Amino acid sequence: MKVEVDQDACVGSGQCLLTAPDVFDQRDEDAIVELLDAEPPAAQHQVVRHAATGCPAAAITVHEH
Amino acid sequence: MTLAAQRPQLPFTRPNLLELAPFYEVLRREAPIAPVTTPAGDPAWLATRYAEVRQLLGDKRFGRSHPEPEQAARISLAGIQDGPSGSYDSEAAEHARMRRLLTPAFSAKRMRALSGHVQELVDGYVDEMLAEHDAGGGQVDLHAHLAFPLPVAVICRLLGVPEADGEYFRSLSDRMATYSGQDAQDARIEFGRYMAGLAEAKRADPGEDVITDLVRAQAEEEDFGYEEMVRLCVGLLFAGHETTVNRIGLGTLFLMTRRDQWESLAADPDGRIDAVVEEMMRMGAPGDLGLLRYAHEDVEIGGATIERGDAVILSINAANRDDTVFSDAEDFDPDRTERGHVGFGHGPHFCIGASLARTELRAVFTTLARRIPQLRMAVEMDELDIRTDHITGGVRSLPVAW
Repeated sequence: MKVEVDQDACVGSGQCLLTAPDVFDQRDEDAIVELLDAEPPAAQHQVVRHAATGCPAAAITVHEH
Repeated sequence: MTLAAQRPQLPFTRPNLLELAPFYEVLRREAPIAPVTTPAGDPAWLATRYAEVRQLLGDKRFGRSHPEPEQAARISLAGIQDGPSGSYDSEAAEHARMRRLLTPAFSAKRMRALSGHVQELVDGYVDEMLAEHDAGGGQVDLHAHLAFPLPVAVICRLLGVPEADGEYFRSLSDRMATYSGQDAQDARIEFGRYMAGLAEAKRADPGEDVITDLVRAQAEEEDFGYEEMVRLCVGLLFAGHETTVNRIGLGTLFLMTRRDQWESLAADPDGRIDAVVEEMMRMGAPGDLGLLRYAHEDVEIGGATIERGDAVILSINAANRDDTVFSDAEDFDPDRTERGHVGFGHGPHFCIGASLARTELRAVFTTLARRIPQLRMAVEMDELDIRTDHITGGVRSLPVAW
């Protein structure tokens, strides 16, 4: 799995880091998403998918191999 | 179509605080974007189905402003969400500034850091509930002792508002959100004056709080108008307590009327709480209208043609109970697998206070479940003192016992 985030689209809701804190973070200064792990391990795949579908700005893209 | 000819008038009467008017089910099925008459008597569209509501929430062809505000459909006789707000030409820029200035202060990380403080507050209020229970007749008002003071204390601290003013701005908020016409407008104006006074106090004596940040930004940014700043401050203080006070009350009612769910939570508060809070966010249905948008372009959606300037009311309550998305949607079921409720909205206007609300709801319901597992309602549902003719509804008191 490969994960991409679109920092221009992000609205800083923080939903992703509540769902998958090992993969996503928020920058302190503007709360915009930061990707911690662009190729997360299999154990994270389900929560990453949830984070992508749950993102209110559709700023997370998941590429399944 | 008959529904179109009828233009049913909002609000639709609901059987009680926890259920919706059955007519929403008909609309979702037959006219997901339905022509209706607003409580103020003007034409509007009502969106009830999950797919359309979610799509509209994320659609930048809609906004809170109107190209010709004096022509806009009026929604209600309240002092907020009653008609268009902000300027059509600068809405996008103002919204971007608002998100930029406020989102960091309410980020999930900041709210996590605040959770210890929230927990201390909740423990203090529950101590008082226990003392009141032992001293009095065994009945305690959960609204006055917990649901109201907690969100007020937290938002006061974040914004830098004196907690002692709580009763004053509670009363202003209540009046502003009531369908009362002139009095609601008067309350909104008075609320604005109050916040402007606070802003000036912060200018003279800055603090480490959101109002101080806004005052500073307004002084530095040329196109950031004073009126816009005051409107933001009012919105923050209003939404920062009103919504969560209400949700704690509704959440309590859901759990108290579904004993098995309450007992599951009491048996495993930490394991159950996140799912319980999300289900409260899905099912808790404040008010009888919804979020307001005006079309900035002609838009075809859900079999309807919405014309530029038309008002659209997005029924979050109806969308969250769409049974084509949530199975047995009327059941309060924290174990459901479907996700993605729109209780905090969706898209560019997604609730800035979502993480704050979750932090407060989590602390409230884990603590109640742990410390007062015998909690029950002390009155019947139909004996509750309910706010009618009010934007968010909810209760004025919530007598409980154990």
